[in-house]
Amino acid sequence: MIPDMNFFEIILYRTTNADVTLGALLKFFFVLSLSVVAARIFTIYLRRSLQDRVSKDVTEAVIKLLYYGAMGVVFISILPLIGLDPSGLLLAGGVAGIVIGFASQNIVGNLVSGFFLMIERPIKIGDQVEVNGISGYVSDIRIISTLVRTYDGLLVRIPNEQVFTTNITNLVGHPVRRFEYTVGIRYSDDADEAIRLIKYLIDKEPFALQNPSPSVFVNELGDNSVNISVRVWAPVSEWFDLKTRILWTIKKTLEENGIEVPFPQRVLHFTGDSERVNENVEELLAESEG
Amino acid sequence: MYGYHDLPVDVEEEGISISMEKLGEQWVYRRKFGDEEVEKLILGDDKCLIINPVEPLNTPKEITPNLLIEFEKTLLIGAGEKKQVFLTFPVEIGIFISGKTKKNLEILDVLSLVGQKFTLYGEVSNGVVCKYWKSRVYTAPPDLNPLQEGVLELTLRNSSSEWAKISKVVFSAYGMKLYYDGGVFMKARMDILNRNSAETSFEALPSNGDRQGSLFKSRKEAFGVYGIRKLGLVPLKFYMGWGL
Repeated sequence: MIPDMNFFEIILYRTTNADVTLGALLKFFFVLSLSVVAARIFTIYLRRSLQDRVSKDVTEAVIKLLYYGAMGVVFISILPLIGLDPSGLLLAGGVAGIVIGFASQNIVGNLVSGFFLMIERPIKIGDQVEVNGISGYVSDIRIISTLVRTYDGLLVRIPNEQVFTTNITNLVGHPVRRFEYTVGIRYSDDADEAIRLIKYLIDKEPFALQNPSPSVFVNELGDNSVNISVRVWAPVSEWFDLKTRILWTIKKTLEENGIEVPFPQRVLHFTGDSERVNENVEELLAESEG
Repeated sequence: MYGYHDLPVDVEEEGISISMEKLGEQWVYRRKFGDEEVEKLILGDDKCLIINPVEPLNTPKEITPNLLIEFEKTLLIGAGEKKQVFLTFPVEIGIFISGKTKKNLEILDVLSLVGQKFTLYGEVSNGVVCKYWKSRVYTAPPDLNPLQEGVLELTLRNSSSEWAKISKVVFSAYGMKLYYDGGVFMKARMDILNRNSAETSFEALPSNGDRQGSLFKSRKEAFGVYGIRKLGLVPLKFYMGWGL
């Protein structure tokens, strides 16, 4: 007679919590393998969907975090199958979690801010930004910190919590940007002619946008000069080049046409005896020369 | 100037001088226009130079694939109507190098004889930068200098139920198809969807034998700078959503 045996019911070993059967052990490995396969498929899907949106480093960090997090949860939940009670582990984990939580609240804060930065996306890699008084190009957005390459070539690491909670100025957030000059001319010069010349120069510049149109106008009758405001819009990629090029061209063109940028000056009026005035002026001149 | 040129080549027209001559084992490409001078070295024999008009979006610097043509006078078109007008567009001259088989082209140089200007179509916060050109609206194709300007045959279709006022049209360079032979030509359409929006696209011509329109009879299709790029899925149409 062959005894009626169910192989899955064979008890392999006993723990204080339960008897571990062959079936339970196989179930444990089956669920674990299935979870590994499912997690791998999920990471492949996640890697594909994030590849154009987030930098590779960040993608890998997020994927690893999710992969090991999911595997940890699955592993703990199937521990009873092999006779281990996870409640003790959870209790120990809970206590450890509180201790680690207190110790690493800044890291967690940066991590959470990093996630929100990736979702809200106020800045992208390659953008020119000003964060917390630091200006430069965003070279990477990582899970804990953001790297900024300053205009003089320094690499600055800013914790994501700071990036997220302070004001961010994205200098290339819009397709176009405006710059402004104030050009002072003498009171004796023809302001209309100066405006015409400046408008002509701007019109010749390809990157000075047609629309929004540039504006050139007398803005102030200053102490020493008639101040003309020049406001020009340019594509963000060309803004700086145009700004640095056009001002000197304006100055040279105005001077070529007899319009000068004046030095600071004072007009003095003397009253009374003209001879004494002349003496006073001569004394003042002698003092200034001496 | 436009067409295929076997090496060595020396062409001069309207102040532009283009030459390619052998210097030892290599070919030297030289181009002069005003103060501008370009010189490049090319290795290998059995090459041919192709000069043809290209999309007007490469000079002075390629910063946008969009061209905005502003009309000198606003056009009005009634509901459901379809009309054809002719506009001008700026021409850029593209110089390509290719093997004798005229395959595997590479751009050598691009120049323009006309003034360049850019503009913004849409809002400062989310508009698009476009190359800018102002054109008169013609009812028949005008005679133009083919090194400077081309003729754009534009078919306007007002599929909305109200009058449409049109003062500009914006195109994407990815769909541009230029033709040349004496003059430079393009054919495009503008489908007006409502008062504020339209969709624009370029139309390819049927092969030489099947062409009916006199404007495009015996025209050669030009190689475009955007055309020779291996592009993925890019929209060939432009949706004008910020007003007409």
